[in-house]
Amino acid sequence: MNEKTGVMSKVDRYYDDYGLRVRELSREGKKIIGYICSFVPLEMITAAGCVPFRVRGNIREPITKGDTLMETIVCPFIRSCFDLMVKGHYPFLSGMVIPHGCDSMVRGYSAWNYSLDLPYFHFVNIPSVVKESSFEFFGHELNAYRKSLEKFVGRSVTDADLSAAIKVHNENRNKVRALYEFRKSDPPMISGTELSRTLIVAASLPIEEANALLDEVLAEVGARKTSPFQPGPRILIDGPCVDNMELMKIVEDLGGHVVTDTLCNGTRDNWPRANEKIDPVDALARRYLAGINCPKTYRENKAGTFEEDIKSRFADIGYFARSFKADGAILYTYKFCDPFGFEVPARKAYYESIHVPLLTLEDLYSAGTIGQLKTRIQAFLEMIG
Amino acid sequence: MAEEKKKPKKRMTATQAAASIGPMVKEFITGTNRARAEGKQKLAYTFIVCHHEEILLAMDVLPVWTENFAGICGAKRDAERFLQRAESLGLSRSLCTYALCGIGFDQWREELGQMPPDPPWGGQARPDFMISSGQILCDPRSKWYQASQQYMPDVPIYNMDMPYPMFERNRDHREVWDYYHRYIVEELRGLIEFLEEQTGKKMDYDRLSELVDLSDRTWNLIHETYALRKAVPSPMGTGDAMNTMVPMCFMMATQEAYDFFANLKKELEERVAKGEGEVQEEKYRLMWGGGLPSWFALSDFNYFNSKGASFPVETTYRMIEPLYEMDIPETKDPVEHLAWRWLGYWTFWYDKAKKRPGSEPDVERLITFIEDYKIDGVVMHEAFSCRTWHVGLIWQLHQLAKIYRPIPVLHLGKSGTNERACRELPSLILESDIIDITSYSEVDTRNKIDAFIETLESVRKSKAN
Repeated sequence: MNEKTGVMSKVDRYYDDYGLRVRELSREGKKIIGYICSFVPLEMITAAGCVPFRVRGNIREPITKGDTLMETIVCPFIRSCFDLMVKGHYPFLSGMVIPHGCDSMVRGYSAWNYSLDLPYFHFVNIPSVVKESSFEFFGHELNAYRKSLEKFVGRSVTDADLSAAIKVHNENRNKVRALYEFRKSDPPMISGTELSRTLIVAASLPIEEANALLDEVLAEVGARKTSPFQPGPRILIDGPCVDNMELMKIVEDLGGHVVTDTLCNGTRDNWPRANEKIDPVDALARRYLAGINCPKTYRENKAGTFEEDIKSRFADIGYFARSFKADGAILYTYKFCDPFGFEVPARKAYYESIHVPLLTLEDLYSAGTIGQLKTRIQAFLEMIG
Repeated sequence: MAEEKKKPKKRMTATQAAASIGPMVKEFITGTNRARAEGKQKLAYTFIVCHHEEILLAMDVLPVWTENFAGICGAKRDAERFLQRAESLGLSRSLCTYALCGIGFDQWREELGQMPPDPPWGGQARPDFMISSGQILCDPRSKWYQASQQYMPDVPIYNMDMPYPMFERNRDHREVWDYYHRYIVEELRGLIEFLEEQTGKKMDYDRLSELVDLSDRTWNLIHETYALRKAVPSPMGTGDAMNTMVPMCFMMATQEAYDFFANLKKELEERVAKGEGEVQEEKYRLMWGGGLPSWFALSDFNYFNSKGASFPVETTYRMIEPLYEMDIPETKDPVEHLAWRWLGYWTFWYDKAKKRPGSEPDVERLITFIEDYKIDGVVMHEAFSCRTWHVGLIWQLHQLAKIYRPIPVLHLGKSGTNERACRELPSLILESDIIDITSYSEVDTRNKIDAFIETLESVRKSKAN
């Protein structure tokens, strides 16, 4: 269902010509900073007067030049992003920020840094554990990141700048939450593809423009008197970054609805808010370390039982499954992804404990697997009826 | 699969020291099982290269090196059944196969309530606790034990965060390392607190200082011992170093490890004096420039040797740098010293790398080894299941190719005049895995080696002309 009218046609235009707006801004002299992971504190980029831009891969573009510089055992999503970058698909970027997200990012850091030769490049070391000492360490690391950006833009980034950036990014998260609310009705008022396209596009815009776009989408969807969709199985997508519509389109073409997710460019990026009442650096340290529930971060099993451990580690899944009344879930992971891959048995057990049927898919980030995915998803939707 | 149960060919070692390793490793495994049965010592699953051995030993905790056990399963060509079991739990074969082997074994042992049938060298003992490590080095190190804990939820985990500053060309790492140091010290003190709680003992800091000092001396001794391999012919190769990594990685902070390297040093000095090489008629000097070996196919090193190729140096499992060349602050506190040593080790090549445009620490180390050990070619191994040690290798070879070009170049010679030199440095990337033998083809591997040797010979001839 895509009417291609009103704001949704604008979303489609930005989606199909990804980077359209920042290309214009770059020509006007604005500095655009790329990122590929939820762990990159975007507020710092905004506070420095630059535009954060989420780099996308392309499942339809064969990986060519990238494979001459980086091993094929790297996560295929990261490989695709890297390939597009070295092939010059994002010429408007002035810099990149790579966080300690996973081995595929960290171990390929030199290849990114030297092959792209951008004016600005920075690595943010994200702790692997959540405790007071790691917040303190992360705070120092954030200040080092701030210092590197100050050097790049030639001006200081004050606490007031940071607080203002936190506020405007929180507004963005509030608007995304409001948009998710439209998925709660049965059938939902907004499709999974409409929502995901909107979020993907929003991550390619300056935050103020992203907020204005979300306002328009909220108004348009809010004006819908009834759902334009037929009832069908309600699906939660669990996994890393899914920056194309194929997976959701398959679910929707088969009569299902993607009603919620834990994806990086879905709730993982957009749900946690930073505390506006505390020191801005501390607020960012806590938001990005404790707030973002990525399997890369080790969370201690405090209860000493497996049941309590998964209940705590995967509380976000339970929350989204309950709040959006998911009938089933698809755990979608990429081959060679160690952080998600090692959690598959525990996640399976968790879904069983909350009585949500689960389909697990390991994919290659390639259009070549769409047929296989379709077969498996069709069988799953038939099963959960 | 066809290779799986075939008994591996025994690899020939150049040194007596390397030949003595087998029983030592077997003793690790059987020793932990003995300790489990006796119940006098606490057993900890843990990983190498965490700079915490001194703390474990000072607390009388017996480390169970889980990577080692997986490697043994691989070397004995008996990993497949544990890998398959891990897959049956929902774990992808594309993940770290050390971890898959370990998790598969643990799940099987816990399900049976005893060791799986015919376990390699008696099997991996059930731990009292697990010490994992979140470094900017290896994701499985913080995920593996968490996954295993699903099958033994009563076994607690202490996850140590051990970051180090990444190399940034425009930044002196010393600008940030104070807060790295403070954090690592807290993590190590947290480990001590955890061990005190688990063992009911208090840390003996005098004992810890002694062990740290012993490790430091062992680090320096290993550096000096391995430097003897610069001799032509080289007295010891990488094949042997994949044995001598055992006392370096699994026995640090023990007198036994120190004595082992003292003996190896003596042996190498004698071999150098007698002109004895890993290969008697050494034609090509190669560097193992990256990647863990295929533990089930170590005899490939003998195959290289049979073609006149020796391996005087490797970057793999050279997990030490000389303390006396490290620019780290002095302290009498052993925990603070461990943290400084950690930072000193990971930033060891940073200053040197900054001086050469286009270089970075891993590349700088390769260049230094190429020059110091008179290297003719580089061999790397890409193990499909491990991103930690195998991502970045292609890029490193690209950077090397900018220096070691296949065309003659002019350089300023010792006499102060321009001299023509051929500095071509062929490279070979082997592809397989650390323990998954289904990824390996002996025929394909040896065909690649043959072609590489032909290239080396062709370069040798063109240099001679």
